[in-house]
Amino acid sequence: MLEVRQLYKSFGSEGVLRGIDFKVDKGEVVAVLGPSGSGKTTLLRCISFLERAQQGEIIFDEMRHDMSHISKRMIRQFRMQMGFVFQTFNLFRNMTALQNVMEGLIAARKIPRQKAEEIAREMLKKVGMEDRAGYYPDQLSGGQQQRVAIARAMATNPKVILFDEPTSALDPELTGEVLDVMKKLAEEGTTMVVVTHEMGFAKEVADRVVFMEDGLIVEEAPAEEFFRNPKKERTIQFLRRVLTGADADTGA
Amino acid sequence: MTQRLANILISAFPDMLAAGFKITIPLTVLSFLFGMILALLLAIVQVANIKVLKQISQIYIWFFRGTPLLVQLFIIYFGLPSVGIVLPAFPAAVIAFGMNVAAYNAEAVRAAILAVPVGQTEAAYLIGLTYPRLMVRIVLPQAFPIAFPSLFNNLISLLKDTSLASCITIVEVMATAKQIIGWTYESLALYIEAAIIYLMFSTVLTWIQGLLEKRLGWEAKEDRPKERVKTRAEG
Repeated sequence: MLEVRQLYKSFGSEGVLRGIDFKVDKGEVVAVLGPSGSGKTTLLRCISFLERAQQGEIIFDEMRHDMSHISKRMIRQFRMQMGFVFQTFNLFRNMTALQNVMEGLIAARKIPRQKAEEIAREMLKKVGMEDRAGYYPDQLSGGQQQRVAIARAMATNPKVILFDEPTSALDPELTGEVLDVMKKLAEEGTTMVVVTHEMGFAKEVADRVVFMEDGLIVEEAPAEEFFRNPKKERTIQFLRRVLTGADADTGA
Repeated sequence: MTQRLANILISAFPDMLAAGFKITIPLTVLSFLFGMILALLLAIVQVANIKVLKQISQIYIWFFRGTPLLVQLFIIYFGLPSVGIVLPAFPAAVIAFGMNVAAYNAEAVRAAILAVPVGQTEAAYLIGLTYPRLMVRIVLPQAFPIAFPSLFNNLISLLKDTSLASCITIVEVMATAKQIIGWTYESLALYIEAAIIYLMFSTVLTWIQGLLEKRLGWEAKEDRPKERVKTRAEG
């Protein structure tokens, strides 16, 4: 449903993505793992055109486009079909939770206010934030903000939601509430690409895992197989490091 | 203080105050509004990076910040008639002051827009907002409280700068003081009295600024809904 082919992106002479072929099918949850600096986030930002790739092709919902030469209009059309959840939430600070969720419906899709509010309230309910509808982002905890941000991303009924390390900026005790919401979405059949460091989430919720390092996809496999039987040396090293790290955490 | 001087000061006070309300304040407010509209345009073409217009905006700011306001005022009022543009004094002053304060306000607005975190813009683009829409709905509302103190500072400066209008026949506070000095020769006392009038106006402005800042304090802390600790139990 969403596919990128031969994606290249560099900042200056630094090659951040060096030929990525990536694909997600309808209803699939793909976890993108990898050490810091491997290009995971850049991949998501290129797919959503927050960064412009030097080379690559995107096929989304039957539309096929060269990623380096694409019009602003086309980008907007792509984005209207996508949801994006940021590491730092990025809720509009001048708007309440409810207004945040409504904005994309009213301003970009011309849905009447009343209908938009109805949808927005429903979305807030879905993420368990209906009783905070009138709160401003500053008045919410990080976990609550991220849940509102997820409601905002879902409100426009996108074909795919991209999550960029959605729990990395949260206090450990707040990650659970966000992961629970994401798990619920996955169970409902939402197509999701999740860049994450949460191994438990990847293992439990993802259908497929993509492991990246140095701007390349090193290994990709169904989630269960990936964790049970990683094939590449790099992957084994990475998993050993993060999994024992996690053990050390719980041990402490 | 002699009785004569006291009488002069007392009778001059209502005249100066009236000149303040009738000329100085309207001149300040109109110039500032004109300057504010111009400033928004100057700032936005720069932030939006619109070719040519961005350069024009930069040159504009360079010129109006780099030359004396009095010179600008004289160019518009005394200079332009020689190329056939004759303006009455008051509109000429509004244009000169407005164009001048626009240069300063544009910089305040531009800096405030740049201070809005880039994540806000990215999020707005990703939910499908167009550039004008994201400016109006997200960026400017967040930039305004940031720019506000600088803008108000410029407003207070402008209030005092309008005294230059006395040089182009406008009878505002300063010109009124000069006229009275013309027949009483009490320059020290009357200029001090004029200073007091300006001080009164700027004090009121500062006071208004404080009030507005509290309002704008962005849903000031005390306006927050009380944290509902019992939510869980209620549910």
